[in-house]
Amino acid sequence: MSGKVSVLSPVGFPPKVTGRGLAPALDRLDGKKIFLVDVGFENSDNFMVQLRDWLAEHEPRVKTEVVRWLDQHRPDPELCRRIRAEGDAAILGVGL
Amino acid sequence: MCAPEVSGHAIELESEYGVPAVAVHADAFSRLVDSVLRVNGMPRARRAYVPTPVLEKTPSELRGYIEGNDPVRGRPFIEEVLEALVRPVAAEDLRGVAFDRSTPRLLDPDTEESLHRLFREQRWTDFLPIVLPTEERVEAMLAGTSHAPDEIVGRLQPTGYREWWEFTVEKVAVNAVMAGAEPAYLPVILAIASTCMTGRQSSTSSMGNMVVVNGPIRHELGMNMGIGALGPYNHANATIGRAFGLLSQNLQGGSVPGTTYMGAQGNNFSYNNVTFAEFEERSPWEPLHVQHGLEPGESAVTVFYVWGNTWTEGLREHWQEKLKAMLGGQDPYLGSILVLDPIVARELSELGFRRKEQLIDWVHENVRIPAGRYWDNFTSRNLIMTMAEQGEEPFASYAKAPPDELIPMWEKDIINVVVVGGSTNGQWSSFQGRPLDKRFRRNPTDPFTVSVDRWR
Repeated sequence: MSGKVSVLSPVGFPPKVTGRGLAPALDRLDGKKIFLVDVGFENSDNFMVQLRDWLAEHEPRVKTEVVRWLDQHRPDPELCRRIRAEGDAAILGVGL
Repeated sequence: MCAPEVSGHAIELESEYGVPAVAVHADAFSRLVDSVLRVNGMPRARRAYVPTPVLEKTPSELRGYIEGNDPVRGRPFIEEVLEALVRPVAAEDLRGVAFDRSTPRLLDPDTEESLHRLFREQRWTDFLPIVLPTEERVEAMLAGTSHAPDEIVGRLQPTGYREWWEFTVEKVAVNAVMAGAEPAYLPVILAIASTCMTGRQSSTSSMGNMVVVNGPIRHELGMNMGIGALGPYNHANATIGRAFGLLSQNLQGGSVPGTTYMGAQGNNFSYNNVTFAEFEERSPWEPLHVQHGLEPGESAVTVFYVWGNTWTEGLREHWQEKLKAMLGGQDPYLGSILVLDPIVARELSELGFRRKEQLIDWVHENVRIPAGRYWDNFTSRNLIMTMAEQGEEPFASYAKAPPDELIPMWEKDIINVVVVGGSTNGQWSSFQGRPLDKRFRRNPTDPFTVSVDRWR
């Protein structure tokens, strides 16, 4: 048991991670439209409605719209294009 | 698994559409989210947390979450969200954070005791003793296949929106050695690995696996399909299933609670992934692999995902009522794998079920639950409702059904039948289990029954 032995690593080959950039920050919130995206997991719809109502009461300078992601397990390019065209930012949830 | 998807969609909005996006998660997933963001090249993505759980919380409780603190950052949740949208972004984060990792073929030589400690500390084991994969042992294992050590077998990931790790024949052999497998088992283990379906899935639902072996290889390896086949009574059954688990966690980049594994309770099935051979010779029906398109003389392996099981014995007078009650309490998304001792299979055959498909049809037609209860399941709401909303039948019709209407618990494609057992008892079970949902396979058309012969 005192001699040294050589063994193979059992670990697989990870891919190279490519950097993905954040979007620039907004210069202000006044007058901006934020899409509140219900990704579709249970109770996320209620959460986004509550968030919309809270923002309407406390942050009236911000416009909001609740939208639903088409399929929580897949990209939704149509919705993403609409958010880019009609909005300034998004809040997505809920990861649970 | 939900948090990786929410992170993934936010990353897409940020990087591909130029839209600042804050992802909101339950705080139990904060470490998982950190690791998902790191391997997606956006480690400082905008995010905020609310307390766990979100499920079943009332609107007023959710309002309380919004007005309360982000439990991870310790600051008001709403400030975390809104400030994230206007806080200046560092130049490095506008580019994203790229990095590369390499894994050595050989570890630094050390004593056996130190290496065993290293493997445990690195979480490369299932915490049962392993066989150290020395070069000699791995070379001996590789003699079990004609395939080259550097041939790519496939890719694995613990959950969606994580990176796919690649692996070779040699890497599978290393893990097979660790599990205590014999070289003759390697083609079966390679076939399992080639499905690219992990035996260490990160789902919060704690899914395990079931592996069914068919064809001549069962006899060549002396696999158990009789008395105690699902128990710890056979070297091939035990170590093939264990190798599946070890190779999954090591070749996909880990299975660590809190970061790459999120099963609430975990699953004891994962120790050897319920690995056994179908008793084709005592079954009145077509073998499982033939049902899925392979030749009777071909050796094959089928990989299912399973969650739990219910048990009963014999048919007796009220078997239909009993079966409907037994299965009717299970979950609509998770499916059923009926695992029958040959005694029960023969009894059913004598009752008129001449083919497995007839039994599958019976279960589909007769095991029904009210639509209201069908949709009152986490999995139904999160995994079936999406298909219904996109008009996919029969789920779209189920979604329109009145709450009291009885609808089938399962579609036929997630009802399976396997015959195994030593006929000391008319034992049978329904494993809550199914093939991996096509939406979560590496490619939607990837088969879950594959040839072993291809890997000889």
